[in-house]
Amino acid sequence: MRTITIKLPEHRGVPVEAERISADVLAGLTIKEISEIEVWHGNRRLPLSKIFLISGDPDPDKPEETRIVLEGDLSKVKRLGEGMSSGVMEIIGDAGMHAGNSMRGGMLHIKGDAGDWLGREMRGGRIIVEGNAGNYAGAGYRGERCGMRGGEIVIKGNAGAFLGEHLCGGSIEVMGDAGDFPGCANQGGVIRIHGHAHLPGAEMVKGSITAGSAHVLPSFACEGTVELGGLTYKKYIGDLVENGKGELYVASGQIGK
Amino acid sequence: MIIKGGIVYDPANGIFGEEMDICIENGRIAEDAGGEVIDARGLLVMPGGVDAHSHIAGPKLNTGRIMRPDDSRMGTEPRTRVCRPSTGYTVPNCYAIGYRYARLGYTTAFEAATPIIEARHTHEELEEIPIVDKGALTLFGSNWTVMECVRDNDLGRLAAYVAWGLRAARGYGVKIVNPGGGEAWGFGSNVKSVHDPVPHFDVTPAQIIRALAEVNERLRLPHSIHLHFNNLGRPGNYTTAIETLELLKDIKPSRMRQVVHVAHMQFSAYGGTGWKDFESKASVIADYFNQTNHATMDLGQIIFGPATTMTADAPLEYANARIGHQKWSNHDIELEESSGVVPWVYMRKMPVNAVQWAIGLELALLTRDPWKVVMTTDHPNGGPFVNYPEIISLLMSREKREEEMKTLHEVVRSRSTLPSIERELDWSEIVIMTRAAPARILGLEDKGHLGIGADADVSIYNIKPEEIDPSKDHAEVKAGMSRAKYTIKGGVVVVRDGEIVAAPQGRTYWVDAAVPESEMDRMLSALKEKFERYYSIRMSNYMVQDAYLSNPFVVRAGVQPLKEVI
Repeated sequence: MRTITIKLPEHRGVPVEAERISADVLAGLTIKEISEIEVWHGNRRLPLSKIFLISGDPDPDKPEETRIVLEGDLSKVKRLGEGMSSGVMEIIGDAGMHAGNSMRGGMLHIKGDAGDWLGREMRGGRIIVEGNAGNYAGAGYRGERCGMRGGEIVIKGNAGAFLGEHLCGGSIEVMGDAGDFPGCANQGGVIRIHGHAHLPGAEMVKGSITAGSAHVLPSFACEGTVELGGLTYKKYIGDLVENGKGELYVASGQIGK
Repeated sequence: MIIKGGIVYDPANGIFGEEMDICIENGRIAEDAGGEVIDARGLLVMPGGVDAHSHIAGPKLNTGRIMRPDDSRMGTEPRTRVCRPSTGYTVPNCYAIGYRYARLGYTTAFEAATPIIEARHTHEELEEIPIVDKGALTLFGSNWTVMECVRDNDLGRLAAYVAWGLRAARGYGVKIVNPGGGEAWGFGSNVKSVHDPVPHFDVTPAQIIRALAEVNERLRLPHSIHLHFNNLGRPGNYTTAIETLELLKDIKPSRMRQVVHVAHMQFSAYGGTGWKDFESKASVIADYFNQTNHATMDLGQIIFGPATTMTADAPLEYANARIGHQKWSNHDIELEESSGVVPWVYMRKMPVNAVQWAIGLELALLTRDPWKVVMTTDHPNGGPFVNYPEIISLLMSREKREEEMKTLHEVVRSRSTLPSIERELDWSEIVIMTRAAPARILGLEDKGHLGIGADADVSIYNIKPEEIDPSKDHAEVKAGMSRAKYTIKGGVVVVRDGEIVAAPQGRTYWVDAAVPESEMDRMLSALKEKFERYYSIRMSNYMVQDAYLSNPFVVRAGVQPLKEVI
């Protein structure tokens, strides 16, 4: 497997639009060609090599045989892995907004925190975040009627507000807590929150949300308790405001702990 | 400037594909000229396109833009040396509207519905639409003063109000949308037929339509009344369409044109008793147009994919929002109208949408006289205007229609007559439907043709009409019509090889119609009371000032000078 290492030597105050950093774009290029790729840095276009230190196996390979390793404080580097369909991308540090958005395949592994809009409108593939994720992970962008449609997001820390808003498919797992309105307007995806969820499933019509504990909206009807994986959950149906048939399962304690 | 060697289509002047040169001097077509030579050897040359019905400016556009950030993403184009940035697909920003029309070879576009009270905003947006000449039709169909005049059978006062309203709105013509329905909607209901009285006004839509049509002719306005029927968008509404057109049969036009222009006919050519037995009645409507001569129509063709419906027909928008489970904006416009905006998606496999698609094409193909038909999508209600080349290629190629029908729900074959229609339009008919007819219908004497003295609005396409067979080469027709080789607006090359190279400011047309002073005084004294009692703004702040039209083109009408008001 070919490895390309892209190091950010210093923290950038001005955002970088790095949608071209993905295996699909870089795999077919030599290291020299990669250095010459232009990205927006604020309102200016700069070649990648002016911002990053780039090293690795020099010769092109197939995207699925390509591993991109990013290092440094990338919290202002946006759109990493946008639309990627294969290969592996590892981010050793924090990732900026829109990481893995519209992703179709491959694997994005963020070893720090992820910014807002992580994996928004994702179609396939896998995202793992070792730290926390910002708001709107797996959501649809402003005004869209469909967020994530497929694939998988695992967040090992906490997630921000509007996790999986307008989720149309795929699954999201959060090991910690979720902020306000997780699974808002869920259209058929699966969300599993191990910690606490605040007001999950507002306007949800299909799909399911499981939470370790939750502040449940009054527009959900409790249908008794069910046993899942050796734990007892309260089962709710909603959101009744939307005549929804979504399922909400709430354990009394934290799942798996 | 001389355009050399093009194959020119100018049906208004009896030119149907002749190789000839066109001379341009001082922004007009001239006998001869010097200067720049444009080599158009063998290429398709025609007058600049005229869109007679499009929603391009006003508060409803901004409502659409605000409620659809998802749409904004669909059409972003960065700025260039000449152009400002573009956004949006169904509700593009103002700049994009101008650039995209120009790229299609269109040089004129009319906004189809503006309430007087919101006209200032409409003009602010029209000012920001580059290149094209434009104008805005003014809404009168659910207006309190109009309905009072109709109830009192006082056409003198109504004429004064229409003249004043056009002046106040800097408007171009009389638009009527679901007459009476906008008022009834204020009480949560609608008018269900042309004879259903409007609550609290004791008038019927039929009376409103007839009175406005008579006044329109009394004022000798360049355009006829522009009518959006009652019951639009409902199954079985073709009877309402014919009943309404019958009402206007005996009205004498004051100019050489129709007495009624029907907006987006497709939406009013529906049979069936509900959505389950929904079917096309386009052939009945087309027959009616073939047998009569007082009406013209624009298509309102639907385009599969996203659209944004926006209309002063507020009850219709409520129904749309419910059916589509969509976002809904509803607006009560004081004493004048109501309106709504709802995003939409037309789907190939949805039976109703498949039939709607067929109806637009049937209307264009079954109406024998192309001068009665304007090609539109009722942008953005049926889909964005950038899809006009798609419609042109469908109308010119039966093969393409057959290919398309294979991708649609099968009811398109049983519930419309489209599969049996063999007619394929030729270039002359296309030029009529997109240029000559809309210009004549709107009463724009210097547009839609290339006679001496006409506006030098010319489009040249990378299509060789003598070598191409549009019936088979429909893909080339679509590609060629999508990016004009040259668009010349007022003698200035604005598009070269599909790219905008200049973005001059177009003109804004409006109609100043004169009425007798005594009638105007009588009308104004009653109107002042309305402002004091009901309006949220003062009469003195109501009129659109001249400062809002940086490049006006005033068309005079009426009988004697209008008394200066306010």
